[in-house]
Amino acid sequence: MALRVNYFVDETVSNLRRNVLLTLAAVSTVSISLLLLGVVMVGGEVLTKMVSSWEGKVELNVFLRDEATPEEVAAIKTQTTGMPEVEEVFFESKEQAFEEYKRMFKDSPAITENVDPNALPASYRIKLKDPNQAEPVASRLQGQPGVDEVQFGGEAMKRLLKFTGVVRTILVIAIVLTLGAAVLLIANTIRLGIYARRKEIGIMKLVGATNWFIRVPFIFEGTVQAALGALVASALIYAGKVFGLDRMQDAILFLPLTVSSGSIIRMFFTLLLIGIVIGVFGSTLALRRFLEV
Amino acid sequence: MIRLENVSKVYKGSVVALRDISTDIQKEEFVFLVGSSGSGKSTFIKMLLKEEEPSEGTIYVAGKDIGQLPRWRVPYLRRNIGCVFQDFKLLANKSVRENVAFALEVIGRPKHIINQRVPAIIELVGLTEKLNSLPHELSGGEQQRVCIARAMVNRPPILLADEPTGNLDPSTSADIMNLLERLNESGTTVLIATHDHAVVDRSRKRVIELDGGKLVRDQVRGVYGIG
Repeated sequence: MALRVNYFVDETVSNLRRNVLLTLAAVSTVSISLLLLGVVMVGGEVLTKMVSSWEGKVELNVFLRDEATPEEVAAIKTQTTGMPEVEEVFFESKEQAFEEYKRMFKDSPAITENVDPNALPASYRIKLKDPNQAEPVASRLQGQPGVDEVQFGGEAMKRLLKFTGVVRTILVIAIVLTLGAAVLLIANTIRLGIYARRKEIGIMKLVGATNWFIRVPFIFEGTVQAALGALVASALIYAGKVFGLDRMQDAILFLPLTVSSGSIIRMFFTLLLIGIVIGVFGSTLALRRFLEV
Repeated sequence: MIRLENVSKVYKGSVVALRDISTDIQKEEFVFLVGSSGSGKSTFIKMLLKEEEPSEGTIYVAGKDIGQLPRWRVPYLRRNIGCVFQDFKLLANKSVRENVAFALEVIGRPKHIINQRVPAIIELVGLTEKLNSLPHELSGGEQQRVCIARAMVNRPPILLADEPTGNLDPSTSADIMNLLERLNESGTTVLIATHDHAVVDRSRKRVIELDGGKLVRDQVRGVYGIG
């Protein structure tokens, strides 16, 4: 078996070298296909992060009546923390509310000086697991003893959630489309490479090579090409991150624009895997026609 | 070595290529298969290689019913049959040595066997000086010798040749036939499909003639025409 592995490795290397142009064509096709896919994936990650950071800011504010008894306040706490939709509940006392208020308007002392620290109500701030649940949760809390008013983003938030939903759907469609395009492009390149060597395959069949013996070098080649393609695509995306996204992030601080190097490495392995899977299946499928003699 | 029993082949669209052929080719025989284009010669050859299946009848190669052979065994059948073609089918980007070695590499023969057999067979066909030439640097006759070397390097008991002299001039054809006869004398069963009159008439070997898919003549020391 050791001898055969030698043969396969020799054959793969010499075929890749002998058909430099075909190899280049194949590698660049794979790179471009995977680059497209990678860009959509990275773009998707940035967008998803942005969208979740907006959604994460959605909170319910449950303002408490000044005359609410400590029992009523405690009961609201127990009720809200017990709800399955609720992620976290913070209590903000009148004093904390005033501090926050002073902090918000620290540049305009005139406004803060005229406000009685007691004028601001104590409240519960409720973080939800799914921002879409804001309305039903709010209506359940509305009118509970001790609750003055429940506020949530309302219309504006609904619009935001609708928008983020659309963004997510578009992302999924874009990934499916680019993945499909990558599969077609790569499979087609493999088919061209095999077609260019159909004579060789015919002779191998005639002198009695088994189908696996014919297939393995093609699969090796497909794998090497896919790996090179994934490497090139990931390198380009990494360059795009360093010179594009990172600089943009420095300029626009309030949006989470960039992706970590770790997620680029994860993406490289994803692209590598996709490339290899397509390479192996593509060459096996494309060879079937030529092996049926 | 090769036996056909009532073999017929009908292609799709009811084109009849062979009708009820029965014949027997013994070990170490030298046989010409003659007939005009479309007489069924190519179908005959393809069925021996299991490239085509007979519609009816049974084909035995080396004593085995090849109709019973599972798909995955077909490569092993082909290792018993060397093939030579009119258009040589050499790999243009491989040298003479590499073209011949290829036939051993792809059936997984170890390197020391390849290094030993390839130069020997190339010497046998008289091309030692062209060992590292590429096919386009060779004449037609030389290319056919490479093709024969490739067919024989695995030492198959049977050699099939489909119009081996079809592209060659008469004196080169005679050289190639001499080579094939020598291989036959050393124990290989040889079957040559051809419509080259001169070659058949000169050799005076067994002739099987096909006409419109039917076996019309089987003569022990025949010539091309009715004799």
